Amino acid sequence: MSLGHYLVLGAALFLIGLFGALTRRNVIGILMSIELMFNAANINLAAFNHYLHPAGVGGMTVALFIITVAAAEVVVGLALVLAIYRNSATAYVEDFHLLKG
Amino acid sequence: MIEAIAFYGMAAVALTGAVLVVSLRNTVHSALALGLSLSGVAGLFACLGADFLFAGQLLIYVGGIAILIVFVVMLLGRTSDLHLRQVNQQWAAALLVCAITGAGLWRLGGLYRHASALVPAAATTRAIGLLMLGDYAVPFEVISLVLLAALLGAVFFSRKDIS
Repeated sequence: MSLGHYLVLGAALFLIGLFGALTRRNVIGILMSIELMFNAANINLAAFNHYLHPAGVGGMTVALFIITVAAAEVVVGLALVLAIYRNSATAYVEDFHLLKG
Repeated sequence: MIEAIAFYGMAAVALTGAVLVVSLRNTVHSALALGLSLSGVAGLFACLGADFLFAGQLLIYVGGIAILIVFVVMLLGRTSDLHLRQVNQQWAAALLVCAITGAGLWRLGGLYRHASALVPAAATTRAIGLLMLGDYAVPFEVISLVLLAALLGAVFFSRKDIS
């Protein structure tokens, strides 16, 4: 296995996540797609760490920070989704037009 | 040989789960497929010799975030959602954006295509701990503040009556 295999896999996962984030209507679907994109970035970080700098652990540490930020993001995002759902009773993003002029 | 089998197996799990996440109509199934995909990514971390990251991925993502998403899906769901279209009509534009991004990533990744591993993987937990309490001490403290802020934000936004 070379680094290229992991990079292609990370790019594929990122593109699937990007496609999902652009096309899903359900706001939870968009959140899940964003999680996929975070994971693609983490694969790349771990792969670069393993292949280009095998003596250090900097890439894995940054990936751990990314996991933490993703956890914080999804917790706040889901709380916001619940709050919006309580007011407007919909989970579809095209119905979220409260701030539209 | 066994490395290739592990890599392709885990990559197939991760990519299949990801495709199911963005394509399934039922959001509950989508959330379960997200758990599958995250488990595949954890397996890839194991292939890369990142043992602590593997454990963290399983504990935080598969055991925490995926379960949390399943809970919220079940709180929000309506039966009528199963008969509604779950994707918008911009799939052609989204494919174009993905193609352009993919071409850019392909050109960037080409710089590193032939790098291969030099040394076998070793245990990383001790080194990560030393790094987090040494060079990365300030980001480590800041990330705990971020977690505290996220906790308070979640409690604030999910209160019953915001007055």
